[in-house]
Amino acid sequence: MRKILLTLLFFLCITALALPKEKLVIAGRDGGYGAALQIAVDLFMERNPDVKIELLKLPYKGLYEKLVIDLSAGIGAYDIVMLDDPWATEFMSLGWLASLEELGYTLDPDFVSPALAVCHYPYPDGVLYALPHVGNVELFAYRKDLFEKYGLKSPPETWADILQAVAVISTKEPGVHGVVFRGRKGNPIVTGFLPILWGFGADIVKDGEVVLNSREAVAALKFFLLLKQYAPEGVEIYNSSEVREALLAGDVAVAIEVWPAWVPDLDNPEKSKVVGKVEIIPAPGLVEKSSPMLGTWLLGISSASRNKELALKFLEFVTSAEVQKLLTLQVGHAPTRKSVLTDPEVVAKYRWFPNQLAALEAAVPRPRVLVWSEIEGILGEYLQLALIGELSPEEAIGEATQRIAEVLGG
Amino acid sequence: MNPWRFSLTTKRLLFWALLLSVMTFILFPVYWMVTTSFKVPLEYATRTPSWFPRQMTLDHYREIWKEQAYKYFLNTVIVSLTSTAFSLAIAFPAAYGLARFRFPAKLDLLFLLWILLVRMAPPVVLAIPLYTTLQSFGLLNKLTGLVIAYQIYTLPYSIWMLLRFIRDVPVEVEEAAAIDGASRLRTLLAVVLPLVGPGLVATAIFSVIMTWNEFIYALLFLKTPEVFTLPINIAHFITEYEVLWGPLMAIGFMSSLPILVLSGYVQKHLLRGFAISFK
Amino acid sequence: MVLPPLFIISMETGNAVRRTWKRRWGQRYSYLLFLLPAFVVVIFLTVYPLTRVFYLSFYRYNPIRNIDRFVGFGNYTRLFSDRFFLIGLKNTFLFSVGATMTEVILGLGLALLFNVKFRGRKLLLPLVIFPMMFSTMVICAIWRSMYHYEYGIFNYALRSLGLDPVKWLIDRNLALWSVVLVDIWQWTPMAFLILLAGLQSIPVELYEAARVDGATGVRLFRHITLPLLRNHIFLALLLRSIDTFKIFDKVYALTGGGPGTATETISFYIYREGFRYFNVGRASAAAVVMFFAVGLVSVLYIRQVWRRER
Repeated sequence: MRKILLTLLFFLCITALALPKEKLVIAGRDGGYGAALQIAVDLFMERNPDVKIELLKLPYKGLYEKLVIDLSAGIGAYDIVMLDDPWATEFMSLGWLASLEELGYTLDPDFVSPALAVCHYPYPDGVLYALPHVGNVELFAYRKDLFEKYGLKSPPETWADILQAVAVISTKEPGVHGVVFRGRKGNPIVTGFLPILWGFGADIVKDGEVVLNSREAVAALKFFLLLKQYAPEGVEIYNSSEVREALLAGDVAVAIEVWPAWVPDLDNPEKSKVVGKVEIIPAPGLVEKSSPMLGTWLLGISSASRNKELALKFLEFVTSAEVQKLLTLQVGHAPTRKSVLTDPEVVAKYRWFPNQLAALEAAVPRPRVLVWSEIEGILGEYLQLALIGELSPEEAIGEATQRIAEVLGG
Repeated sequence: MNPWRFSLTTKRLLFWALLLSVMTFILFPVYWMVTTSFKVPLEYATRTPSWFPRQMTLDHYREIWKEQAYKYFLNTVIVSLTSTAFSLAIAFPAAYGLARFRFPAKLDLLFLLWILLVRMAPPVVLAIPLYTTLQSFGLLNKLTGLVIAYQIYTLPYSIWMLLRFIRDVPVEVEEAAAIDGASRLRTLLAVVLPLVGPGLVATAIFSVIMTWNEFIYALLFLKTPEVFTLPINIAHFITEYEVLWGPLMAIGFMSSLPILVLSGYVQKHLLRGFAISFK
Repeated sequence: MVLPPLFIISMETGNAVRRTWKRRWGQRYSYLLFLLPAFVVVIFLTVYPLTRVFYLSFYRYNPIRNIDRFVGFGNYTRLFSDRFFLIGLKNTFLFSVGATMTEVILGLGLALLFNVKFRGRKLLLPLVIFPMMFSTMVICAIWRSMYHYEYGIFNYALRSLGLDPVKWLIDRNLALWSVVLVDIWQWTPMAFLILLAGLQSIPVELYEAARVDGATGVRLFRHITLPLLRNHIFLALLLRSIDTFKIFDKVYALTGGGPGTATETISFYIYREGFRYFNVGRASAAAVVMFFAVGLVSVLYIRQVWRRER
C-alpha cells in the first residue's frame, strides 16, 4: 500500500513538473466519432491556448473493458470518457462518474429528451452524470426506387408491410436480397432484434424483473426468422460493417438497422452505388407505436479526474449548438440538439434529418439495469441459436429468460 | 543425391504441380492483401472482385503515413527487441543451470513444468491480476511494463528452447576449460555461448516474431497513443461500422515488411537452430 | 497448487543438495545464482496471478457488482452444466487436435518436397515462411474478406467455375474448420521448418546404405526417415498443440464464437465471462479446468523428454 502511495506521489510530482499547461485526457472513439471530436478539441485548444487536450481514439472492441478496468480501479488515467448509453447505468450507479450538477452545470432543454434521460441516474430524472454527445438512434433504411418499381407501400408502416415488400423484391428483383440485419451473436443480434421485439409489444426487463417470456416475444422471434429467409446467406455472422457493405453495394432492399454515424456514406458516390435511392425512416411498429432503439454516446467526467472544472468546460463547449452544427456540417456528426437537427442549413445537407429527429424523440433506451452487458450477452447467444435453427423460438426465449433471471437474482 | 533425377517425366511433372499448388496456397492471401492495399473503396465489396486493381491508388499508403504509423513502428521495434534481449539474458543462465546441475527432489523438473504451464495458459487468464501488479509498480501504459508482461510469453519459451541447445554441448568441453583454470562464468561466456550461438539466434527470432504481433496485452495495458504498438494501431482500421480495407491492408503489409525482407535470414537461422537441437 | 521451486530449494539445505552438488563442482549454491534472475521474474509474473486465479475459482466473485462470497465447488458444478462451456471444451479439443495434426502432416510433406534439390529452391524457401510473420489481426481480416459468402474471392472463383459457393464461416458444421484452415495457413511453416531441419540432419549415407540393400521409397521413409525424425515431429506437435489449445484471437476476429456455438472455445468463454461480464470467479474456475487439462499434457511430455534425454 505504501508502495502504491509512493508511486502515485512520484507520478504526481512528475506530472506537476512536466506539464505547466492544464491537461485533459479524453477516452474517445475512433473512426468518424474520433474525427468529429478531434475538430472540437482543436478548436477548444485554439480558443484556450493554455489548455492541452489529449484525445485517445479507441476502437469499440475492447473500449468497454478498458474503461471498466480504469474507472473501477479509480486510476484516473482519463478525465473525460465517451460511453455508450447501455453502459451508463453501471458507470453512474457505481459512482465512477462525477455529478455534473455538483460541478455547477445547469440543464439545457434544447437536448432531445430521450437522449438526455439516459444521462441521469436513477433513470430518467435523477442526478445528471453526463451529456449526450452523439445522437445515435437506430434508423430504418429502404430502397425507395425498388419499392416504387413494384408498387409497394412507401414508406412501409408496419412490420407486416415490410415482410410483404421484402418477399416481393426478393423473388422479383434479380441479385437483390430483401432484407439485411446484424445477426452476429452477442450485442449485434440483440440490437438488430430489439426494435422488432418492442414493435410487437414485448420487453426484456421491467422494474428489475425479467418479463421476456411472453407470447409477444415468441411471435417477434418467429417474425425475425421469417425475415431471415429473405436475408443474404450468412446473415448470422453479419455485423455493422457487413450490413453497411451490402447496402452500399446495392445488394439489399431493406436494412432494418442503420446508424446515423455512417448513413451519410449512402449519398457519397465514392463509396456508394445507390446514391439518392435510399430512404431513411424511423423503424415501424406493429401493435405498439414505432420504437426505434436509442444508441446515444455520452460524455462524462471520471470521478478520479483531477481537473473536473476544465473537463466540464470542454463538455459544455463540445455539446453547444455552435459546435454541434459545425461538426454536423463538416463530418456528418449526429447531433443531439433539436435546434441543430432542425437547422435549415443542416437539413439541406442531410435530407433525412427530420426523420432522424422523429426517431430520436420516439426512441426507447435499452433496459436501465446494472448488468445489461451480461443480459445482452445471454440474449444474444439464445437469439442466435434460434436464428440458426438449433433451438425453437419457444425454447430460446424460455432458456434465455431463465438465465437472465439468474443474473438479476445476483 | 537427387532421388528424382532418374525418375519418369510424369513424376517430375507431378513434383512441380504439387510445388506450384502449395506455393499458390501459401502466397495467394499475401497477394490478395498487397493488391487490396492499392484498390479504391468501390472495388472491395462487390460480387465481381478483381484479381488485379482496376484503378491503382496510393491513397491508403498516404493515409497511414499521415497517421504517423512509423511512430508505432518504432515502439514495436523497441518493445520487441528489448523483451527478446531481456528474456535471452535471463533464460540463458537459467537454461544452463537446469541443463547442467541435478536438483534435489526433481525441483528442476517442477520448475520446467511450472513455466510450461505458464506458457500454455491463455493470456487472458493472467491479464487481470497482471494488470493490478503492473499498476502497483507504476508500469501501466509504459513500454517497460509491456516488456515485463511479455516475459510471460518469451521467457518460458526461451528457457525450453535453450535447454535443448545447451544439452547438446558436450560436458567434456566445459570440463577441459575448467581444468585449464577458467572460472564458471568465463566457461559459460567463452565456451558455451559460442557453441549455442545458432540456437540463441533461432530462439531470438521466434521471440521477436511473437512479441512483434502481440495484441491482447498491448490492448489492455497501453492507454495513450504515444506508447501504442503496431498491432493496436492496426486494430484501429477495423472500426465498428466499417473495415477500412485499403489502409488496413496497407499497414498490415508495411508492418510486416521488415521481417519479410529478413525472411531469408530468418529461415536460414531457424533451420540451423532446429537442426542442432536434436543431434 | 504447486509451490514455486525456489522456496523449496532455499528451505531445503539437506544432504541431497550438498552431495549432488559437491560431486560436480565443489561450490555449493552457485547454481542457484544461474537460476535466480529467471526465478524472480517468473515468480513476479506468475505466482501471484496463478494463485489468485485458483483461489478465486472457489468464490462467486464479481468486482463491479460487489459480489464476493465463498461457494466451494459451486463454480465448477455450474461450469459442467453450462452448455456453452461444454461445447467450448469440445471445440477447443477438436480445434487443437485438428490443426496440430494437419499442420505437422502438411509440414512434413512440404519438408519432403523441399528436401529435394531443385532449381529455385533457395528463392522459394524464404517465401514459404511468410505466413507466420504477419500480425494475426491482419491475417484474420484478409481471410474474413476472402471467406465472405457474397463478395469473397473464394466463392467468386467457385461461381466462375460453375460450382456452388461454400458457406465458409456460416455453416455451423464448417465454421470451425474454416478457422482451423486459417491457423494451418499461418503456422504450417513453423512445423515445416522444424521438420526440414530434422530431414537435413539425417546423414545421406544411411539412405545410400539402405538403397544398396534394395530398399526403396516408402520403405526408406518408414524405416529411416520417420524413426530419425521422431524428436522433431514431437517438438512440432508440442509447440503447435500448446498454441492451438489457447485459440482465442482467430475466433475473436473471424466469428465471435458463432454461428450459434460452432466456434465457441474455452479461451473465448473465459474472456467473455471475465472481461465482459466480470464474473471473475466463474472465469477463474474455467481457467483452472483448462490448466488441469494442459498440465496433464505437459506432465506426459516432460516425462517423455526427461526419460530420453537424461
